[in-house]
Amino acid sequence: MVRREGKDRLEGLQVPGYDIPDEVKGHVVITTLNRLYNWGRRNSIWPMMFGLACCAIEMIATAASRFDLARFGMEVMRPSPRQADVMIVSGTVTKRMMPLIVRLYNQMPLPKYVIAMGACASGGGPFKEGYNVVSGVDKYIPVDVYIPGCPPTPEALLYGLMKLQQKIEKQSLKEVYLQKDEYIPEPVLGPDIMDPRDFPMIREYTMKKLQEMQAQVGESTAEQS
Amino acid sequence: MDGRGILRGLAVTFKHFIASYVDDFRRLGKRYFTQEGVLYRSSPQVEGVFTIQYPEERRPVPENFRFIPFLVYDEGPNGEKEIRCTACGICAKVCPPQCIWIVRAHDPETGKPLKKPAEFYIDVDICMNCGFCAEFCPFDAIIMDHDYELATYDRFATNVFDINRLLKPASYYQQIRPTQYALKAAEREKKAAAKAARRGKAA
Repeated sequence: MVRREGKDRLEGLQVPGYDIPDEVKGHVVITTLNRLYNWGRRNSIWPMMFGLACCAIEMIATAASRFDLARFGMEVMRPSPRQADVMIVSGTVTKRMMPLIVRLYNQMPLPKYVIAMGACASGGGPFKEGYNVVSGVDKYIPVDVYIPGCPPTPEALLYGLMKLQQKIEKQSLKEVYLQKDEYIPEPVLGPDIMDPRDFPMIREYTMKKLQEMQAQVGESTAEQS
Repeated sequence: MDGRGILRGLAVTFKHFIASYVDDFRRLGKRYFTQEGVLYRSSPQVEGVFTIQYPEERRPVPENFRFIPFLVYDEGPNGEKEIRCTACGICAKVCPPQCIWIVRAHDPETGKPLKKPAEFYIDVDICMNCGFCAEFCPFDAIIMDHDYELATYDRFATNVFDINRLLKPASYYQQIRPTQYALKAAEREKKAAAKAARRGKAA
């Protein structure tokens, strides 16, 4: 079997991050818990079954037998965000879809990763200045890997997933598991999410609106009880 | 009889299933991870279904496969880059999502505009790989690339390709699109010959 070379190469368990004496090499297996744990983690990334546009067709092709995501341990497409590790935002993100994506992202357990697949998800693509499209999903949620292309071929998506594997491999468990689960305010549909230049203002407005709504809900439940 | 169609369909699937294993055994050791194995599996003679073991082996892309465009330069006699682009701006005009930005170079002494680009940007996060720029370019200077391994961690740092990132030699163009390269080269020669003949007549 040919090993992955060059930029595709994964470091694997061989590089624990400190020097191993020459006489021990080849006799003893030494690795760090980080490496071992991350090795398991990166080989079982479960993506969320979630397609938005034409890129989703390529994602389906990648999961099918010709390219076979199962070789990377990613064959379990989870229909629930509670069980997913990575969200592949595959396609054009309309403003109507954005609150739902943020909600799905909030529902994912830590550690969570986001891949922006295709030009539309990463930067708006051909619809960048459209009235109804979010120009880049990273305006609302943090993105780990961007895959350019319109749509990216299944190989390009696999390459992006391999980049994600490389990223996961180098993470420290302490940082990953002690990070706080940040709640991202869901953008509220209405007169907002309209002008891409107003995004900071909209974020503020949304936060205020959300708090008001939550306060209202709290009041109504208090009245009922 | 009811259900005969289902059985026939299942038989087809089962035949594929058996054929994949038979083929695996017949071509043991040659089917995977070799270039000839990939070529055989892309041919119409192949039996059964198979997987492309992507990072280790690559599916040969068709010649007209298109991804992000690149700029062609000819290598001069002293190894300098002769950029084919004349900064005419046709590609930027025909680009449907408007992802190309060109700045024309100016002569540093006289300040007159030159026939070459000073800056050339393609925003990869907007490009929709339609290939209009390559089709409309009269100088054969912008070509659709075959390289699809472009995933990055930070799009703001890397995904706006500048001229240094876009420039690739004509030899690379010839390598990825041999038929188109030969066709365009013949066309250019013909045009040059016609021009020379017209000049000769005038003189």
